[in-house]
Amino acid sequence: MATEAAPMDEKAKRMRDLLSSFYTPDPSISTPTSSISTSFDNINGPSFDADQYMDLMIKKSNLDVLLQRHVQMAAEIKNLDTDLQMLVYENYNKFISATDTIKRMKSNIFGMEGNMDQLLHKIMSVQSRSDGVNTSLFEKREHIEKLHRTRNLLRKVQFIYDLPARLQKCIKSEAYGDAVRFYTGAMPILKVYGDTSFKDCRRASEEAIETIIKNLQTKLFSDSESIQARAEAAVLLKQLDVPVDSLKDKLLEKLEQSLDGLQINPDEASKLAEHNVSSKDEESNNQGPAKIHEDAVRGFSEAMRAYREIFPDSEERLFKLARALTTTHFENMELYIRKRVSAADFLGIFREYSAFPPADVLLLSNSLRIIWEDVVLMDEVLPEAALSDLSAEAAQVTLKQFVARTFSHLQQDISDTLLKFDINQKEVVDGEVLKVVLEASGKAEFRQLLDENTGIFVKMNDLLIGWIQKGFQDFFSEKIHAGLILVLAQLSVVIEQKVIPRIAEEITASFSGGNSQAFIPGELCRVFHAASEKLLQHYIDTRTQKISNVLRKRFKTPNWVKHKEPREVHMYVDMLLQQLEEVGKEVKQILPQGTFRKHKRSDSNGSNTTTSSRSTTLHSDKMARSNSQRARSQLFETHLAKLFKQKVEIFTKVEFTQESVVTTTVKLCLKSLQEYVRLQTFNRSGFQQIQLDIQFLKAPLKETVEDEAAIDFLLDEVIVAASERCLDATPLEPPILDKLIQAKLAKSKEHNNNNKTTVSS
Amino acid sequence: MQGGSSGIGYGLKYQARCISDVKADTDHTSFLTGTLSLKEENEVHLLRLSSGGSELVCEGLFSHPNEIWDLASCPFDQRIFSTVFSTGESFGAAIWQIPEPYGQSNSSTLDCVASLDAHVGKINCVLWCPSGKSDKLISMDEQNLVLWSLDSSKKSAEVVSKESAGMRHSLSGGAWNPHDVNSVAATSESSIQFWDLRTMKNVNSIERAHVRNVDYNTKREHILVTADDESGIHIWDLRKAKAPVQELPGHTHWTWAVRCNPEYEELILSVGTDSAVNLWFASASSEKQASERSAEASRQRVNPLLNSYTDYEDSVYGLAWSSREPWFFASLSYDGRVVIESVKPFLPRR
Repeated sequence: MATEAAPMDEKAKRMRDLLSSFYTPDPSISTPTSSISTSFDNINGPSFDADQYMDLMIKKSNLDVLLQRHVQMAAEIKNLDTDLQMLVYENYNKFISATDTIKRMKSNIFGMEGNMDQLLHKIMSVQSRSDGVNTSLFEKREHIEKLHRTRNLLRKVQFIYDLPARLQKCIKSEAYGDAVRFYTGAMPILKVYGDTSFKDCRRASEEAIETIIKNLQTKLFSDSESIQARAEAAVLLKQLDVPVDSLKDKLLEKLEQSLDGLQINPDEASKLAEHNVSSKDEESNNQGPAKIHEDAVRGFSEAMRAYREIFPDSEERLFKLARALTTTHFENMELYIRKRVSAADFLGIFREYSAFPPADVLLLSNSLRIIWEDVVLMDEVLPEAALSDLSAEAAQVTLKQFVARTFSHLQQDISDTLLKFDINQKEVVDGEVLKVVLEASGKAEFRQLLDENTGIFVKMNDLLIGWIQKGFQDFFSEKIHAGLILVLAQLSVVIEQKVIPRIAEEITASFSGGNSQAFIPGELCRVFHAASEKLLQHYIDTRTQKISNVLRKRFKTPNWVKHKEPREVHMYVDMLLQQLEEVGKEVKQILPQGTFRKHKRSDSNGSNTTTSSRSTTLHSDKMARSNSQRARSQLFETHLAKLFKQKVEIFTKVEFTQESVVTTTVKLCLKSLQEYVRLQTFNRSGFQQIQLDIQFLKAPLKETVEDEAAIDFLLDEVIVAASERCLDATPLEPPILDKLIQAKLAKSKEHNNNNKTTVSS
Repeated sequence: MQGGSSGIGYGLKYQARCISDVKADTDHTSFLTGTLSLKEENEVHLLRLSSGGSELVCEGLFSHPNEIWDLASCPFDQRIFSTVFSTGESFGAAIWQIPEPYGQSNSSTLDCVASLDAHVGKINCVLWCPSGKSDKLISMDEQNLVLWSLDSSKKSAEVVSKESAGMRHSLSGGAWNPHDVNSVAATSESSIQFWDLRTMKNVNSIERAHVRNVDYNTKREHILVTADDESGIHIWDLRKAKAPVQELPGHTHWTWAVRCNPEYEELILSVGTDSAVNLWFASASSEKQASERSAEASRQRVNPLLNSYTDYEDSVYGLAWSSREPWFFASLSYDGRVVIESVKPFLPRR
């Protein structure tokens, strides 16, 4: 049985497969229920092997299961058979109905051909009739068309004959646009048939056009007409084939002529500026010419705009013109600057009006502003002309020149005035100039021209630096007055402290949008600071050198070992004090006062009481007291004193104050004095002379110098050095010392009364 | 007293101005120094740096009859040296020999080899011929230049030649050219004079007022360094002596003395009355024309002042490099303090 069931099964499966493939395209869906076991078991699978399946079945299952399986399979086969029969029957049904339908169609088509023939015939007859109508109407239509053409021609002829009259009418009513339109319309006909019957007509209309052209040209050149009208006229002229180039030339010539009127007259302007300054009436005066000028420039720019509208294709010439205008502006200014700066009374003006900004700078800034405004106006009209660039360049050059010239003159003036000892006002003026230059540059508002302008500043600073360095070298080689060095030092301080921040401020204020890489305030400050320190040091050096020469002569000349008893204070002390006084004077004029100010003391015998509350006072007092005893066991005691005394700072850093510079100078001089003393050997009288001189020096030096302790220390050091180098160091008795000093003081007082020079008292 | 000092200190009893390197002592780094006291008994100290370089030992202490203004050690015999001394009223110069077993007694006496007694005025200095073997000496007073020939075995010195510089040129010191034994530089009131010893003539001069000290660069021919009171240190090339090759700022007060290092040609030491010793690096060289620009650029960038030794109580007058160990130098301040410092940290890399 089992062997029988196997082919049956196979057959049924093949059947089912076929059926399922027929009804559904996807066999996997049609047999979703079939087991997904191994390929051999799957009866529905394509690779089903019946023998294997049987073997497997027999091996795996017992009889009951096999029997059960058989029954199940038999039922399945029966089911499949009925399914098959059903399908066959259904298909047959469909086939029969299809055959029926075809048969019916065949019978329906049968009577169609006759109908079609009928239709064709009818259409043919309609066509023949319409042709008949057409031929009968043709003649009439042709006639109408001919008549129409003739009428048009007649109208044109009429128009041409009417043209002169019409043109005249247009001229009268100034409707040039229409006239030109008419004329250009008639032009081709006139050209072709002008020699025949239209001769008179043509001549008349040409005459009329001539007058129109003339009228148009006058209109073009007349300033009273509106720009639009003029532009229209130009367009019309162009349409009439009038040579435009000549027109352009004429117009440009006119513009050029108007340029002459536009130029800033430097002399007038300068007069005006000076007048402003002196009359203190800046506003009212300034406005008059400025307004005139502005109007002129406005007119010019209007004209330019018109021109641009009229001749949009020929801007080159305009550019040239505008450039020429700006360059002439700047040339004028340059000329003016040259003239002004080279004027001999340059400084005089500065000083006279130092309360006001210097006239020059005011003027420069004014003209710069005017030019800038002009340029802005023109720039609106001609954005492509790059006028702003041009003017910026020119302004840069001019500013550079101005700055350079100003500085060279300042330099000269400084040296000149210094030699005259008239330096008080100078500093103020210097600062003013720089500030005002800055303000001027700031006001010029070259906002988009940041780079160029920072270039100017940098250039300016380069100039300053170069100038200072050059000056520095000059003073090394030549022996120019020492005060000048001091002024330079102070000037560089002013620049460092005031001008550079000011420049930085201006730059940030004016060009907040852009970057200012080229201008580094810190670097410049450093340069100027170094320069000022160097200069100050140099000043002190030159000063001490002079004093050193005095001292050298003093100590080289006499034979100190055979010195005579001191009778009076030696005159070199006077020279020393005089030199110091000179330093004091110069310093007072130029440098600022320090914060520290000691109490003024009445002059007198130079008593040892000091009002200074410094800790070192104690030592100096002690030393002063021990002066007389010191002569005996000199060395031991000084060493002992030094042990307890804190080291007095002799060489401190120099500051930019009057006191600091004077103190440093005095300290250096006293140190030199000590060194000179150490190189000599003294007898008792020599020592006493030194003692006397130093004692005398004490009072006036303390009077001038801020650091009393250091001076005390140094003066004592000189006496100590002298006593060390003395064979028999017996000091003068205090009463004798006092008497000699009083004598000297009386003498110098008398000297003072004789010639009013104030020796420091 | 000076805790922070890196140097090795040694105190003399009295004030002193001069110190000299004992060049002939090849076994030790030694210095000779003499005191300057008008009233006390003056001494000459022979100082020796211990081998580790950590201690300064007094090897000998000899009494000297007068205060010593100048002292120079003989370049070929470590026991011989010269001094210039003053009695207070008059000056003298002499050659001394340290007694044979020196260092035994605390204050032994010196043997006087010869007295250079051809002078009347103020003697400034005695120069030994730098060649090392020659027995030539020069002594200088304010007007005269005297060339001596020394015979140490016979204990005598003879004047070879003597020339007056003239009344107007007050000579103040000098240096013997180590590259040319016939040439001596002498500083005077208004100029530096160069003397040819064969003819005893002033052959050349640099106009420079108030030069206080002068030294030849032993490594580079034609290079001379001078120190002024006020305007600092100048370096000269003798072949183009119109203007200095380089200027260094010097000291706050006078620059008293200046010395070129015997080994490292760029190093210059200066001492000043502002109680400081300054170590300079002077790279300027006229011979290296090609690299001059770069040198100039670097000079501007680098501060020429390598170091400033400021741990002194008084003006510093004495200065000497050690020729045996050229990174040591000895300085002497007026209060009698000898300080040995090492410049090893600042030596140029080679």
